[in-house]
This record gives sequence, structure tokens and C-alpha cells, in this order.
Amino acid sequence: MKYKPDEGTLMAYLYGELDGVEKEKVEQYLADSPEALVEFEKFKHVRSILGAVEDKEVIAPPIFMDSRKNRVVWNNPFFRTVVSIAASVLVIMIAGKMLQASIQMSNHEFKISFGETVKEDKPVEPVASITPEQVQQMIASSLQENNAVVQTSLLETQQRLDASIKNNLASNSLKINNLVQGAATASQDQIREYVTSIQAENLKMVKDYFQLTSNDQKQYIEELLVDFSKYLQQQRKDDLMIVQSRLNNLQQNTDIFKQETEQIITSLITNSSKTTIKN
Amino acid sequence: MHAETLPDIAMMHSDTLIQRAQQGDQNAQGKLVQMWYKRIYNYAFKFFLDHDQAMEATQKTFISMCRNLQGLQDIARFKPWLYKISVNYCREELRRKKNAKTTPIDKVWNHEAENSPGWELSGHRLDNPERKLQHSELADILQEALKELNDDQREVVIMKEYEGLKFREIAEVLNISENTVKSRMYYGLDTLKKILARKNINKDTISYEI
Repeated sequence: MKYKPDEGTLMAYLYGELDGVEKEKVEQYLADSPEALVEFEKFKHVRSILGAVEDKEVIAPPIFMDSRKNRVVWNNPFFRTVVSIAASVLVIMIAGKMLQASIQMSNHEFKISFGETVKEDKPVEPVASITPEQVQQMIASSLQENNAVVQTSLLETQQRLDASIKNNLASNSLKINNLVQGAATASQDQIREYVTSIQAENLKMVKDYFQLTSNDQKQYIEELLVDFSKYLQQQRKDDLMIVQSRLNNLQQNTDIFKQETEQIITSLITNSSKTTIKN
Repeated sequence: MHAETLPDIAMMHSDTLIQRAQQGDQNAQGKLVQMWYKRIYNYAFKFFLDHDQAMEATQKTFISMCRNLQGLQDIARFKPWLYKISVNYCREELRRKKNAKTTPIDKVWNHEAENSPGWELSGHRLDNPERKLQHSELADILQEALKELNDDQREVVIMKEYEGLKFREIAEVLNISENTVKSRMYYGLDTLKKILARKNINKDTISYEI
């Protein structure tokens, strides 16, 4: 029977966790079976490659554990809720005690009261001293009195109002009359004055204007005339110069002509004389 | 897997610290957090391949740790106990994320930066920037390969390969049998082997790049 280690044993051997008989057995098996050895070497090979991965350096952050254990119960949210409800109920109860609050429900009424409850007196029995007729009478008499007072005051005020209205009307109409009259008399004189002043102003303005424009025109026409005369003078001078130059030209021409004729005559004379000599 | 450094040794021998923390000593709790933060963060980061989610799960883990430390019976089992909390918060975070069905804006937007050399990575200070770049690229590829595993296998592989938990401890963390853990490990490694073959990563690339 040939021994063959299972996967687990092989792994234990690979990581050196076998000893004694088991280890020897595996060593013997590997020595006997070259194929198994090759397989085993492959595992060793993988391990050696894996060894290339190195640890990463890391800095441990501080971990705070401030006696958390003791506060576990307190930190429990459920516990907190219950405690807070209980505390608020307690506060309400103490406040109620201090204010001596009492809540009652009896005879269809709901009562919340603070302080000592006042003992209610028994309802006073109505004293039957005044009869309804008397009350009626009292009301009627007081109404009458009241009516009379109101009536008199009403009359008084009416009278006063009438008087004041009349006064006002009288004074107002007088004032208005005065005002209208004053306005009527004042206005005619004022208008006349105003018109005359405007007329005078206009007159003055027109006069000024005419004076100004006539002055301007005179000046302008003078300048124009002077310019025109200057122009005419210049023109005449120019014309004269032209005539002069023409005359000069003409003289030169006649001079030249004269000379030419003289030359021609002399040449003619000489020629004729020559012919005559020849002849 | 990882060499035992001074902090690792401190982690192994922190029984008194845990005891003091259990009695409510906040200073001890703080030290415990400082000591384990990097491990839990790295577990979460490899699980999510996302800094924000990893930070979220890690912080929740430590808050829960400080709260429930008194309930821990056996101090010797602190490590699997802590990983158990972390695994649960990581699963919860993953579920929350799936339900939210939102895509973070940088996933849509900043695809370039996603694939660019992780300049935030600060592993070993490699002198040569080019080598550093290649190295981080390889790390990215490996992490993406991890992300392709299913959640169960990924949990086991990270805890075993990177966090160095014993199979027994992993079984305790996940509340499953040790054999199941080993089986998941086996299939996880097997899948990774195939993924890496597909991505054409082999020992030569490694020795060349590292």
C-alpha cells in the first residue's frame, strides 16, 4: 500500500506544521514520487512569489474609549427617552404641587384652578321686595326723564345751530360783495395801466430795433460801396495795363515790320542795281 | 513567513500588557492598539485592496477590541480572538459595500493612478527608484491576484501567508475545522498558481525584479 498524503497534510507540511512520523512520511513520499515533488515545488514557488508583497506602513490613529462601558445604559436611546418622559412628568407634578393646582370634573363642569379653592357662598335668595310692576314703573319714569332731557338738549342745539348759520351767511355774503366790488373797480384801472405800459414798451422796442438795423444797414452799404469802388479801380488799373502791353506789342510788331521792309527794300535795291550793272 | 523583528517579539510577549488592558488601563490599551494596528490593517488591506475600507474595518476592530477585552478568557488566545473580530468586520464591510452598490469615484475616474506605481507604498527603502517601481508593480499584480480568490480562500491565504497564523488558530478564527482550513489553503494556493501562470509571473521574473 502506497502512502499518499491528503491536501491538508501537504499544506501542513508546506508550512512546517508537521512533525514526527507524519513529517517523515511526507518526506519519504516526496522523495519516492518525482511528480509529487514537482507539484510540491510549484506550491513552494507560489509561496516565494507571494512573499514579494510587503506590509504597508500605517499609523494607528488614536482610539478613544473614555469609559464607554459605564455609560452604556445612559447612551441607550430607549432608556434616554423613557427617562426624559419621566423627568418631564415629574417637573409637571412638582409645578402642580407648588401652584396648588386642582382639576375637577363634576356636574357637567370641568375646572382647573390654582391656589386654595374658595368656598362658594350659597346663592343668595332673591329678596322679593320689588315687584315687576314697580320695576316697570321705574323703568318707564327713568325713560321719561331721559327723553325730556334729550328733547331739551336737542332743541337747544338746534337753535344754536340755526343762529350760527344765519350769522355765517350774513357775514359771508357781505365779504363776498366787498371782494367782488373791489375786484371790479381795481381791474379797469389796472388793465389800462398795463396796456399803456405794454404799448410804451413795444414802441421803445420797435424804435430800438429800427435804429439798430438802420445803423447796421448803413455800415454794411458803406462797406459794400467802398469794396465796389476798390474793385472798379483795380479793374481799371488792370485794363490799362493790358492796353499798355498791347500797345507795346503793336509797337514792337511795327518795328519789326519796319525793319523787315527796310531789309526787303535794300535787298531789292541792291538786286536791281546789280542787274543794271550787269546790263 | 516574515522575519521576527523587534515589534513581532514584543507581540509574542505581551501577556502582561493584555492583562493590564483588560483591567481597564487605557495606556495599555493604547499600546496594544499601536502594536497590532499595522497587522490588522494589512490583513484588511489585502482583503479589500482598498485603503479606506481597510481603515474602516481596522478602526472598528480596535474599538470593539477595547470594549470587549474584559470578556476574553484566555490571554494566550488573544491573537486569534483579535483576528476573529477583524474578519467579522471585514465581512460586514464587504457586505455593506456590496449592498451600497456604489462605485468609488476614483475607480471610475482615476484609473491611471490606480495602475501607477503605488508611491504611497513605503516598504523597504530601496535605493534605486526603478527597482522600487518594479517592485511595487509586482506587489500590485500579486495583490490583484489575491483579490481574484473567493472570500473564504482569500481570508485563509492572507492569515496563513502574511499574518503567520497557525492552521489551528485560523480554524478558531473562522470557527471551522482545521481540515477545512487546510483544504481552503490548498485550493487557494492552487488558484493563485494558475493566476500567476496566466499573468506570466515566475521565479525568474521575481529574481529579476527584486
